[in-house]
Amino acid sequence: MSTAVDVRGVTKVYDGKVRALDGVDLKVEVGKAFALLGPNGAGKTTLMRILTTQLKPTSGEAYVFGLDVVHEGAEVRRLVGYVPQEMSVWTDLSGYENLLVYAKIYGIPSTDRKRIIDDALEKMGLRGVANNLVKTYSGGMIRRLEMACAMLIKPKVLFLDEPTIGLDPSARRVVWEVLASFRKEHGVTVFFNTHYMDEADLYSDEIAIINEGRVVKLGKADELKRSVGGGVIQLTLGDGMNDKASSELKSLSAVGDVVLNGTELYIVVEDAETALPEVMEVLRSGGIPVKRVSMNKPTLDDVFLKYAGTRLETGGRVSEVRQMRRMIRRG
Amino acid sequence: MFGTMRTLSVMMELELRRLKHERTELYTRAVQPVLWIVVFGPIMGAVRAVPTGGVPYTDYITPGVLIQSTTFVSIFYGLTIVWERDSGILKKLLVTPASRYATVIGRSMASGIRAIFQALIIVPIAILIGVRFLPNALYFTSALLVIFFASGGFAAISILIASFMKTRERFMGIGQAVTFPLFFSSNALYPVEIMPHVLRELALFNPMSYVVDAVRALTVSGNLANIATDLAAIALFDAAMFFMASISFKRIIE
Repeated sequence: MSTAVDVRGVTKVYDGKVRALDGVDLKVEVGKAFALLGPNGAGKTTLMRILTTQLKPTSGEAYVFGLDVVHEGAEVRRLVGYVPQEMSVWTDLSGYENLLVYAKIYGIPSTDRKRIIDDALEKMGLRGVANNLVKTYSGGMIRRLEMACAMLIKPKVLFLDEPTIGLDPSARRVVWEVLASFRKEHGVTVFFNTHYMDEADLYSDEIAIINEGRVVKLGKADELKRSVGGGVIQLTLGDGMNDKASSELKSLSAVGDVVLNGTELYIVVEDAETALPEVMEVLRSGGIPVKRVSMNKPTLDDVFLKYAGTRLETGGRVSEVRQMRRMIRRG
Repeated sequence: MFGTMRTLSVMMELELRRLKHERTELYTRAVQPVLWIVVFGPIMGAVRAVPTGGVPYTDYITPGVLIQSTTFVSIFYGLTIVWERDSGILKKLLVTPASRYATVIGRSMASGIRAIFQALIIVPIAILIGVRFLPNALYFTSALLVIFFASGGFAAISILIASFMKTRERFMGIGQAVTFPLFFSSNALYPVEIMPHVLRELALFNPMSYVVDAVRALTVSGNLANIATDLAAIALFDAAMFFMASISFKRIIE
């Protein structure tokens, strides 16, 4: 399998004091969707700006399809599509004109231009509003227009910096759907930054967890979650527990620990889904009535907590939406 | 080279398209120069205190006022750059195959498009008021070209300012602080010869003086004696400003 993105020991220090990246190593295989997951300020955007040749690393090397981002920047820029976190289209132009301007900047020959632009508009579901000014668009439509801009040249790698920031859930889903169909058609490698665990979980083949400028863990979502350890089965009992059932539970191979708190029974297990039938069998044969069962499986948040030592920020989405709206109005 | 020319032309096309959709700014910005021509010109002209070489005073200041207003347009064009930096537009432009120098120079030159349209709004009003322009299409077109190229240089100054002033508010303040001294230390309202000694020396280094002189020669006075010097000064000014803006652009990005 060949490598689409190869980062080796990259550091970035701003103004000689702020250490945004502190020795990042990672590899992304061709055709994969790769998520860089981390809280705000972890260095995600800095790394992406280095990979898209906007910034030079302080030390270390990075390659996109074997091309050095520092010394072969012009060649790299011909291969990549990029959607920055902030809004990146002219709001006082129509959607079509935005695409036209970018098509010309990329030097797409005039004979193909219209066909390629129409195709991009069609794929992003923007055909009907192509001639409206972008300032009349919703946040989700703007994002799709930006993706259309990035896809004009059929890039080999698509860099998306927080692609769904500030969007409502349905607009987020649409963005991922159009991206998925584009991937299927062109086999493009996708490298995206996010601080939404669910997106990293659902839409990536591989995840790198980044915190304070360091990649603290790398792997597939499932592997990462398994690495945290098992889940917890929580049962509300109708009656007291007896010692026999308790020791029988503890002897089960899938069970790690059993904690009783009043009528609440917590059972720590390796894999909640396979352990539950055995647990229920023991309780039923012991004649212990169960009123309620719930299972907690590890999430990426738990993974994050384990490797980064902090939780991912979950708040702030409302303020992001406001910020996005303000930007659109101002433009 | 081909890529650079393409980037420059796309940046100008972009500006034309934006103007097509939104022209309010051009009209509101025309108010001030029109006041200079309609009110200030006739009143000061009545005093007959300024030696204008036989040209009516209002006619004399019209090119100056025109250049002042197009220069304002260019200097405040930096606001667009600040906006494009705050949004992701600049970042995205940097990740296209276009060279960043072509992007800077293209953005600067694009302000020239805006400046030409600004001039085209003011000129008919001046004609209505009775300003007599030289009836020479070649001269007039040349004057517009002078305005176009000079505007690029002033817009480059504004990119330079934008690289230091990272917020719009600060930019507005400094923009005002730059444009008015440029205007008053130039030959826009009075000949350099009647200025105090120190100002006269300053006017020598004021690019606006050369632009006004060239446009005045091409539109009202018809005296082309200094035109070569003027054009050389403007070319030098543009080259220097493009160079400095290109260097400072790195600060804007980071």
